[in-house]
Amino acid sequence: MAEPQPAPAKPDLMQQVKKTKLWKSIFRHDFSDTPRTRLIRIFGNVFLHLHPVRIAKDALRVTYTWGLGGISFYLFLLLTVTGILLMFYYRPTSAVAYQDIKDLTFVVTLGGLLRNMHRWAAHLMVVVVILHMVRVFLTGAYKPPREYNWVVGVLLLVMTLFLSYTGYLLPWDQLALWAVTVGAQMAANSPILGNEGPFKLPFITPFNDARFGLIGGTVINDATLIRFYVLHCIAVPFIFTVFLCVHLWRVRKDSFSKQTGEKVDVWPHLVSREFLATLLVTVVLFVWSLLMNAPLEAEANLNVTPNPSKAPWYFLGLQELLVYFDPWIAGVVLPTVIVIGLMAIPYVDTNPKGVGSWPKMGWKRLGPLPIWYPTERPFAVSVFMIGVIMWFVLIFIGVSCRGPNWEWYWPWESWSYRRMTKLTLKNIPNLWGLALMGAYFLFGSPIPKAVKDRIAAKAGPKAPALVSAALHFGLGLVMAAALIIPILTAKDADFPLRSQYTTLFESLGRAVNAPAVAAMWHLVQNAGPAVGYGVIGAVILGLGLALGAIGVPFGRLKDRMFDEMGLIKYTIVISLFMMMTGVLGKIFLRLLFGVKYLFSLPVFNFNI
Amino acid sequence: MEQALPPAAPEAQKPDFLRRMEERFGRRQFLLKSGWAFFWAFLGGWVLANLRYLFPNVLYEPTLSFKAGKPEDFAVGISERWKKSQRTWIVRDAKGFYCFWARCTHLGCTPNWFEAESRFKCPCHGSNFNKSGDVVAGPAPKPLWRCAIRLADDGQLVVDKARLENRPGAREQGEFFLPYEGQA
Repeated sequence: MAEPQPAPAKPDLMQQVKKTKLWKSIFRHDFSDTPRTRLIRIFGNVFLHLHPVRIAKDALRVTYTWGLGGISFYLFLLLTVTGILLMFYYRPTSAVAYQDIKDLTFVVTLGGLLRNMHRWAAHLMVVVVILHMVRVFLTGAYKPPREYNWVVGVLLLVMTLFLSYTGYLLPWDQLALWAVTVGAQMAANSPILGNEGPFKLPFITPFNDARFGLIGGTVINDATLIRFYVLHCIAVPFIFTVFLCVHLWRVRKDSFSKQTGEKVDVWPHLVSREFLATLLVTVVLFVWSLLMNAPLEAEANLNVTPNPSKAPWYFLGLQELLVYFDPWIAGVVLPTVIVIGLMAIPYVDTNPKGVGSWPKMGWKRLGPLPIWYPTERPFAVSVFMIGVIMWFVLIFIGVSCRGPNWEWYWPWESWSYRRMTKLTLKNIPNLWGLALMGAYFLFGSPIPKAVKDRIAAKAGPKAPALVSAALHFGLGLVMAAALIIPILTAKDADFPLRSQYTTLFESLGRAVNAPAVAAMWHLVQNAGPAVGYGVIGAVILGLGLALGAIGVPFGRLKDRMFDEMGLIKYTIVISLFMMMTGVLGKIFLRLLFGVKYLFSLPVFNFNI
Repeated sequence: MEQALPPAAPEAQKPDFLRRMEERFGRRQFLLKSGWAFFWAFLGGWVLANLRYLFPNVLYEPTLSFKAGKPEDFAVGISERWKKSQRTWIVRDAKGFYCFWARCTHLGCTPNWFEAESRFKCPCHGSNFNKSGDVVAGPAPKPLWRCAIRLADDGQLVVDKARLENRPGAREQGEFFLPYEGQA
């Protein structure tokens, strides 16, 4: 029986313990707040030693980084821990997987909370990683010497999304199954290696193509489940950790894009902020998980698809893109271009300005419009943000504007499974489509200074501006004509098999989903052909001139960029830019004109 | 100088050139380079072997052929009887039977049949197909696949989803169409 100890004896006991060999073998330093221990705490501790011991005071400001990178890392740790705990109850076979998730949710003590936390932390991680990328872009933190670390960061973003993708097959519910069905079928549409993609190799069949390798068979079943389980729990986290180490290490080793003045000790200034951030995130996730349950739909049924079938929100932008493009473009080419384009940013952005602070904004007049624009990096920041916003607009459309049969419903409309909607889409004849796309991409071509000088030497000082105007107005007119003339004049290739009308104009004009063509059709019907076609001709002219009017100032920007960046960087930047706006253009063609493909070679599965 | 250089140059150049060749492709370099070549070949082969390992040789998947009942049990029109269990629509028209695989040719979801519009509509990306399986709207690039259909000895329809056809002309004949004019 222990005697009640007098109160002051306790610190003595602690003092005694601290003098033991055991204590000293574990803790190599004391905990007094001296400059020396502040340093030793960082480099004497394996968990903290990725930090520098001192850090610029500017970099500590919460409103500069919002702690997004650190929070992403913490969420990864949290997901690992909750994931490990979930693995104790989960068996990855189709017969029991769904039941195990049900058990976890309703039978296992606190299992539901754990699953909720895992799911919501995953969603939060996607948000935070994307925001981290946006922050790093806007503050120019990817600029030399940190170019490569940006590339690693993009890979980590891709892996975050892949972890989510592999993770949500595991509950084996309807959401899981159909999202993975769609994702796996995209692999089958990849060029060269997919059985249904363009230019497939002669030996590719459904039994050895990319989809087969991904899901381990020809249909999604147990082989797929164990495959995704291993990818989700072991393989991807393993690779993720490797790249994460590189990412964190390089933050230290590459030094900063901008050297700032005063430095402070990481312990306690940074470590305490990190601790507070993790506490905050933990509390938020706890409350979120207590209030909201992770979704679980009906058990997976390989034969019946929910209507509508929506992917998790962060893939709905991709799902929406798949509506407008052939799967090999929307599912393989565009994601690849987006990822490679993101990786290329630090190598093509040679502007040294805008490092270490949020963009400085200013006002400018553009014609009658006041424009709020970033003064130091106007092109880079605007284009990047337009891209990010476009992606979230697509996500918004997918979340809020799509109903049964993936038809368009405004957010305030209620869904009806029996709404009569007869949608019609038509291809533009290939040569017209080629002319349209060719004129569009030529729109991105610059007139280099050398060429301008030669033109000026030959034809006078005003000639280069005239040539540029002629080029852009000409291309604008070609685009307007190549879009509208075939719609007015071409025969409907689907007649009589799939269409009751003989001309494209009538088919699309009577369709409910091509408002622009319908307007032209009704104009011609009601006002007579002479007036109707006259007005349409004026519209073509007006559209072409409007495109030209946009093109001329765009031309000045292009020429300046070309002269500053050189051929290779310019080509990369302008191709990415034209593709980005091209996606927008194709979406408008689909929604306003009912255009399905601009160019189609069905024999090669090649459709654009 | 001028007299000394010309005879000296070829002699000095030749051994120099040979020495450079020796440095690049000589015995030591040959051993080193072939060593590395074998290393990379081995590593590449190993990676490829592991990639091949991920493609299974035996599949444990449900059989693709099934018996769909007697033809006289089907009325003229689209039958959804086998959609939930076998993912097929059996279609009977005035001349006989054909059978669709209920799998969208876009990204593999199961479309639904809408009698009022006489269309199949896909819930994933909004593809629309008409009664012959041709795409009338939405992103699907190809018509619906038709399955081989025949009569078994016991008088039941037999559908084989392993044999598929969707080209106009080929899909309306042979094993993909079963002429039948009996009572409904």
